[in-house]
Amino acid sequence: MIAAIFNLNHPAHAVHWHFFFMSVSNVVVIILLLIVFALAILAPFPGHGRPKQTQR
Amino acid sequence: MSSGRKSWTGAVRDRAVAVLPPEKLLPDSQPAYMSSWIYVFGVLSLVSLVLIIGSGMILLLQGPDWWHTSSIGHFFNSIHMWSVELFFFFMVIHLWGKYWMAAWRGGRRRVWITGAVAFVVAVPCALTGYVSQQNFDSQWISTQAKDAMNAAGIGSFFNLMNFGQMYSYHVLLLPLAVVALVAAHIILVRKHGIVPPFNLSKSVAPATNGTPSNGSPVGPRATPGPAARPGPRFVPVPAQRPDPVPVPEVPAGREVPAVPEVPAGRDVPAGREVPAEPVL
Repeated sequence: MIAAIFNLNHPAHAVHWHFFFMSVSNVVVIILLLIVFALAILAPFPGHGRPKQTQR
Repeated sequence: MSSGRKSWTGAVRDRAVAVLPPEKLLPDSQPAYMSSWIYVFGVLSLVSLVLIIGSGMILLLQGPDWWHTSSIGHFFNSIHMWSVELFFFFMVIHLWGKYWMAAWRGGRRRVWITGAVAFVVAVPCALTGYVSQQNFDSQWISTQAKDAMNAAGIGSFFNLMNFGQMYSYHVLLLPLAVVALVAAHIILVRKHGIVPPFNLSKSVAPATNGTPSNGSPVGPRATPGPAARPGPRFVPVPAQRPDPVPVPEVPAGREVPAVPEVPAGRDVPAGREVPAEPVL
């Protein structure tokens, strides 16, 4: 049996600040979502801006 | 034996082709504004859904004993679970992108509604999968979710601790609903075209009916396309400027009459404008 990449043999960690309470895994997913969303808007798309090919 | 009347199958076919002609259903080129990564996440969600259904059908054939005890079962169980994670990840980014793009523009309300409802229906589809795992994790989730359903007042309609019931919901009823909604969503996207981005450049025509900035259907329809056309896959779509107001030319030797002025102290009657152009 292959072990998990992370040690899961403990209670889940959570981010707790005043009323805000969320598991670390959920916080990581939300941050990843924001990063990928920003990249999807800002990152250049392959071929975009290439000069238009002339019709033969 | 031709009676001259068209059969109902022919009438349905003609209607279907008129509503969604083949070149719109399966276009061979896309508008230039789609050359952005934000337009990729819809099809990524679709690919994830295909993976979910494929791996889920394999799990369905073998059952919990197999996916918990064999290496191949673990593999397909993991493929199924991570496909769901990616499905929701891509769907959320797709949703954010379309929300900030106001993708309901240009008569695309039904496209937006079917996408949003598919997202909402996919949530219980995933939940019933988590409670169908047949392990300690599913027991914990089902007891917690049962309390949540009871607190919401809908706990009498279904029992989250009933494996058979949850498994039926997960492998039949809810997937059927999700697939039907996604199919309707895609057909509507093909019918109305991909929503264009907002027009932020002042050098392009202002938003009027028929320009890309107001979300009019300029998608596949605007891309001329013989299948064998060389060149880039993304075809630039020129901004459709509104037709300019024709300014009549003054014949030679004829004077242009002066613009009639409104006498001082007299208002222009309501509904009547002082002509900006010389009236010939």
